[in-house]
Amino acid sequence: MKFVDEFRDAELGRVLAGEIVAVVEPGRHYKVMEVCGGHTHTIYKYGVDDLLPENVELVHGPGCPVCVIPMGRVDDGIAVAMQPDVIFTCFGDMMRVPGSDGTLLDAKADGADIRMVYSPLDALRIARENPDREVVFFAVGFETTAPSTALTLMRAKAEGSSNFFCFSNHVTIVPPLRALLESPDLRLDGFIGPGHVSTVVGARPFEFIPADYGKPIVISGFEPLDLLQSVYLVLRQLAEGRCEVENQYRRVVPYDGNPSALQVLEEVFELRPHFEWRGLGFISHSGLKLSDAYADFDAELRYEIPGVRVADPKACQCGEVLKGVIKPWECKVFGTACTPERPIGTCMVSSEGACAAYYNFGRFAREREVV
Amino acid sequence: MRVIEARGDGLANCAGEDGATTTVMIDLVGPVAPGDELLVHAGTAIARLQEAAA
Repeated sequence: MKFVDEFRDAELGRVLAGEIVAVVEPGRHYKVMEVCGGHTHTIYKYGVDDLLPENVELVHGPGCPVCVIPMGRVDDGIAVAMQPDVIFTCFGDMMRVPGSDGTLLDAKADGADIRMVYSPLDALRIARENPDREVVFFAVGFETTAPSTALTLMRAKAEGSSNFFCFSNHVTIVPPLRALLESPDLRLDGFIGPGHVSTVVGARPFEFIPADYGKPIVISGFEPLDLLQSVYLVLRQLAEGRCEVENQYRRVVPYDGNPSALQVLEEVFELRPHFEWRGLGFISHSGLKLSDAYADFDAELRYEIPGVRVADPKACQCGEVLKGVIKPWECKVFGTACTPERPIGTCMVSSEGACAAYYNFGRFAREREVV
Repeated sequence: MRVIEARGDGLANCAGEDGATTTVMIDLVGPVAPGDELLVHAGTAIARLQEAAA
């Protein structure tokens, strides 16, 4: 398939792997963090890390949108879903994220009308088809997904919809990156930048990483050769003593992003003063709420939201996994009490979660053999 | 995803790698024609794929 097959060429992969070996300094350990769940998925699906020298370590950051949702927000969603006459809609993986007393899927089994949708537009269609019910869309995701929610709300407003509401949990990528760079327990050499977020926001917002923290960042595509080349470009910057923003994913990412998408985000959303992230705590200006112009569609104003902060289960180490402090298999419950079938933490739920990626693509078995 | 049919009203029918089709909002990428390759996320096209840059 066009734009796919050429980026999965094994021979080219071997050539890139050789170039990576040639550019690294023996005896130096490199830690490169990717901050997009799609990258994590590709790395383990295709075994990209197996092609890297032992002294080049890929660390997984908080790039999986479902993984960063704290338990309290899941509880809030369930509280809304249990309201009479509500049809609660969300993406499939969100239904399996545990709250303090079960998942949305459990709430559905208990009688709540919770439906999986592919897009917010599907949720608006359900609202049109059920004029006597109130339809709530549980919105999650970074700047990649937020434009879809924004466009749907603009359509709802244009149609004069009065039974469609949005429970926004959208987040932005730059504030958590800054929080990670300020963290004393994580020493990183560079970043693989989030390709799809950058499609919307562009590469420019990441200029603070080289400017303020002296680290290189390469915006990367999602095929295995994209990632290998991006790792090479980060390592080459380090070898040459450079640190800058490079754009490996030029076939999709303009340096200044998508102006139309940025405009709809500006119209429909505004930054919250702070938002809680799983594992990272409260981060200023990192969450999006509906703007005043869309207050009529805001589920947080329409319904009583408990808003109780809930600590993660003691055994769960998703927070440390999300910060890249530990590898998924180093978590105490990985692959035993916590599996994709019965997840305890969010990182084991979504296919973009680091734990699920490790588990699903055979890492669990391999690491266990090593131990 | 590949555009199969532009429907008007900011929507297009598109097919994915597996052949499954879906309706996509195209407000952010402008007019599309059958055969165009789009990057689609949560039912919205957020970019066109640029062959020259690939």
